[in-house]
Amino acid sequence: MATYLEFIQQNEERDGVRFSWNVWPSSRLEATRMVVPLACLLTPLKERLDLPPVQYEPVLCSRQTCKAVLNPLCQVDYRAKLWACNFCFQRNQFPPAYAGISEVNQPAELMPQFSTIEYIVQRGSPTPLIFLYVVDTCLEEEDLQALKESLQMSLSLLPPEALVGLITFGRMVQVHELSCEGISKSYVFRGTKDLTAKQIQDMLGLTRPVVPVQQGRPLQPQEQPPISSRFLQPVHKIDMNLTDLLGELQRDPWPVTQGKRPLRSTGVALSIAVGLLEGTFPNTGARIMLFTGGPPTQGPGMVVGDELKTPIRSWHDIEKDNARFMKKATKHYEILANRTAANGHCIDIYACALDQTGLLEMKCCANLTGGHMVMGDSFNTSLFKQTFQRVFSKDFNGEFRMAFGATLEVKTSRELKISGAIGPCVSLNAKGPCVSENELGIGGTCQWKICSLDPSSTLAIYFEVVNQHNAPIPQGGRGAAQFVTQYQHSSTQRRIRVTTIARNWADAQSQLQHIEAAFDQEAAAVLMARLGVYRAESEEGPDVLRWLDRQLIRLCQKFGQYNKDDPNSFRLSDSFSLYPQFMFHLRRSPFLQVFNNSPDESSYYRHHFARQDLTQSLIMIQPILYSYSFSGPPEPVLLDSSSILADRILLMDTFFQIVIYLGETIAQWQKAGYQDMPEYENFKHLLQAPLDDAQEILQTRFPMPRYINTEHGGSQARFLLSKVNPSQTHNNLYAWGQESGSPILTDDVSLQVFMDHLKKLAVSSAS
Amino acid sequence: MLGRDVAMAELYVKPGNKERGWNDPPQFSYGLQIQCGGPKRSPLARRVPGPADGAPQAPTPANSAPPAVPAALASKPVGPPPLAVVSPALRPDAAKQVASLAEEECEVKVDDVLAPLNETLSMCRNIVQKQVCDDISRRLAVFRELWLQGKLSAPVRKRMNILVQELQRWHWDVADEIHRSLMVDHVNEVSQWMVGIKRLIAEARNLPPGDLVANDDQGAGAQPAEETL
Repeated sequence: MATYLEFIQQNEERDGVRFSWNVWPSSRLEATRMVVPLACLLTPLKERLDLPPVQYEPVLCSRQTCKAVLNPLCQVDYRAKLWACNFCFQRNQFPPAYAGISEVNQPAELMPQFSTIEYIVQRGSPTPLIFLYVVDTCLEEEDLQALKESLQMSLSLLPPEALVGLITFGRMVQVHELSCEGISKSYVFRGTKDLTAKQIQDMLGLTRPVVPVQQGRPLQPQEQPPISSRFLQPVHKIDMNLTDLLGELQRDPWPVTQGKRPLRSTGVALSIAVGLLEGTFPNTGARIMLFTGGPPTQGPGMVVGDELKTPIRSWHDIEKDNARFMKKATKHYEILANRTAANGHCIDIYACALDQTGLLEMKCCANLTGGHMVMGDSFNTSLFKQTFQRVFSKDFNGEFRMAFGATLEVKTSRELKISGAIGPCVSLNAKGPCVSENELGIGGTCQWKICSLDPSSTLAIYFEVVNQHNAPIPQGGRGAAQFVTQYQHSSTQRRIRVTTIARNWADAQSQLQHIEAAFDQEAAAVLMARLGVYRAESEEGPDVLRWLDRQLIRLCQKFGQYNKDDPNSFRLSDSFSLYPQFMFHLRRSPFLQVFNNSPDESSYYRHHFARQDLTQSLIMIQPILYSYSFSGPPEPVLLDSSSILADRILLMDTFFQIVIYLGETIAQWQKAGYQDMPEYENFKHLLQAPLDDAQEILQTRFPMPRYINTEHGGSQARFLLSKVNPSQTHNNLYAWGQESGSPILTDDVSLQVFMDHLKKLAVSSAS
Repeated sequence: MLGRDVAMAELYVKPGNKERGWNDPPQFSYGLQIQCGGPKRSPLARRVPGPADGAPQAPTPANSAPPAVPAALASKPVGPPPLAVVSPALRPDAAKQVASLAEEECEVKVDDVLAPLNETLSMCRNIVQKQVCDDISRRLAVFRELWLQGKLSAPVRKRMNILVQELQRWHWDVADEIHRSLMVDHVNEVSQWMVGIKRLIAEARNLPPGDLVANDDQGAGAQPAEETL
């Protein structure tokens, strides 16, 4: 049904929500038979240029165990000035300010087009944002210089009232006291010994400000302690001194002998950063920004020793249980990450080195707190410099996109419960009537904390239908869910974004076709993929692939049209037709295949996969391929070896890479220089077209992708060849007598073979 | 970035640093990055549905895919490209790639740029801490030195000239944006002293209106540029 695609798109644009199923099976039993769980992707701060925030407090249901926000689904009695909560059916009185409302004078939050609405609220005095730079000085001179310049540049990009601090580390960890007097002081810590938060705070001379408060009277602004400490100063005051301080930073002075790695105390440096912020500014938006050029080699959190002859762990080492430091290091960073999240702060990791830097062990720092993870080869690259600049990017209103300290609460109507969430968040352990005992992802709660987020941050939320089988569908039955995100906007205002959605129930026995037609295969693919990747990070690899395959077979058995034991009769309706392809590419993706990637690379890819919105996530699963030729406008083509033709230029976007590939003939023409001849200006345009299209992606994506410009026979062509479905390989090249397309040298299964197996298994009466 | 500033902004794309990073993406100027205004639905977002049953067949399934190409063109000595008209890219309004990396001429004299800066600084001295003013002053001196030694490229000199003109007109936001674009695009040339300019703009905009004397009132009261040395 074409209209469901429109429905799905409109809902995504308005509410930032994509559900796997848009007509919901009405019983628990039937829902489990659907194979793909009822779940949604939610982008809490989706950019809405047409949604001006309202400047008043949201109206809440008065039932203590409910407290849902007034929304368009609520029944309203305008005369009696009462509203009925659609979640718990409590009748509530409107507050006095709503005395003037009527059918023709509705408040915004009751109007259907405001199913998503944002409130600006007052919650205490606004606190400034905090940026704490934690900088590795064990870098090559060129890299250190580039990093220093980037940090100096960032002082021009930071909000002027924000607080900024600096910790540098190598063998020792130095906490710099920022002052406007000429003399710079710092506190030096040994990099080998971890310290508790209290020890750090004592050694730095930080004491909690104690201000006597009169009973019942809130602190007046002038009584509150000055919001800064010696280590964190406002940018507008300290920028000149800090610029000089950064400019004077030297490489770590401890000599590194031949055959050794520098002694890098990342674990203690991060620990001190976390402790410093914990003691001075808990519960306000803060970024700990770690810049590192190599693995931690000393102290708690070390990932590899300082002997170069002992390489850093590979996947092979991990599988053979030969990664000495991994468990302990991971634990160290997990404890730090959890403390940071509890304090409402986030940790970014900017890792630039040719070898691994320990992202595998440190990933929880970014993943649990919503911080960024950027992986590059050197600080002196455009990839790092521009990605870093984009951390401070602004929206159309000139405000920073970054937001802090978000708590997401989900409420559901009583036929649904919440199984869990997967994304850059931690649990707030909030029990309640909506919480299911069956956990998927981060479960056992209906509230999560996302300490740092931006307009593309997306969580996957998994639900469970709890209606008993044969229980009647509620009359006019719609299930509902409400997503309430409270957060600190970059302007330091506190805001609340409320999204309330509803979908129809249907009896799966008699109305399966409606449920089928409303299936969102793109959302389902991403939701299943997130589940798969979540499992892969905690289980063995092959088990996840087996699980994924089993789910796919079951889905095909349930929703395919076929005659038993006749694979050739197998058909899938339009709303399912892309799903097997997505699963095929997912199985081959770096999220589930660790072969050919280091543990750090796998962690990096998975980090981004677990937080991007649907469109970007799909690009990661199944890259986009566009073809440019003389025979027509640029068009999308199958991600298949048959699309690789001599007289085509291909543009492939995998999210992490942009690949431009010149077919053999195009490459020959380019080598012959036709683009420089005026009569062949059209060829020049052809060469330029993919570059222009790639530009918009390159100009805006975070993180900035790698850029690969290659051609037929080029070594870099492997990025394209490894992604396309290998429908032609050295094994079957002459099987069909086809001569177009490029054979791929692989033993990987092709989509065709995969589909053959799938159909056989789906139609088999033995399964 | 304010509309008219786009014309004055530097819009360029440079290749990435291939020596330090494999497949380093191109570097866009600050002006180009700001233009975009952020992530939008990319034109490159469409997919072609595969053969619904995935059956092995000609690589041109019924409902999609590029027209088949005659095998003759595929290899062997190739003739010239066809003279067909090429459809424009999906984004026909591709960002201007002003490849003006060649040295432009810049006729501006350093003291013409410094004079308004020093004037503004002297206006600040009543209110702003001496130490801060001295710091700014020191950095203006560095700026002058580097300029005279020929260490500042033409785009930097040109844009500093524009910056001080905006400063004189009390267009604080525009001046601030120009400082930012210079910091981003030319950090290695400007990092030592640009923070002084940044601070000067910030302090000047906060001056009470009475302290901001209009330029043509500056007669004998103007601080001579030499004082900063």
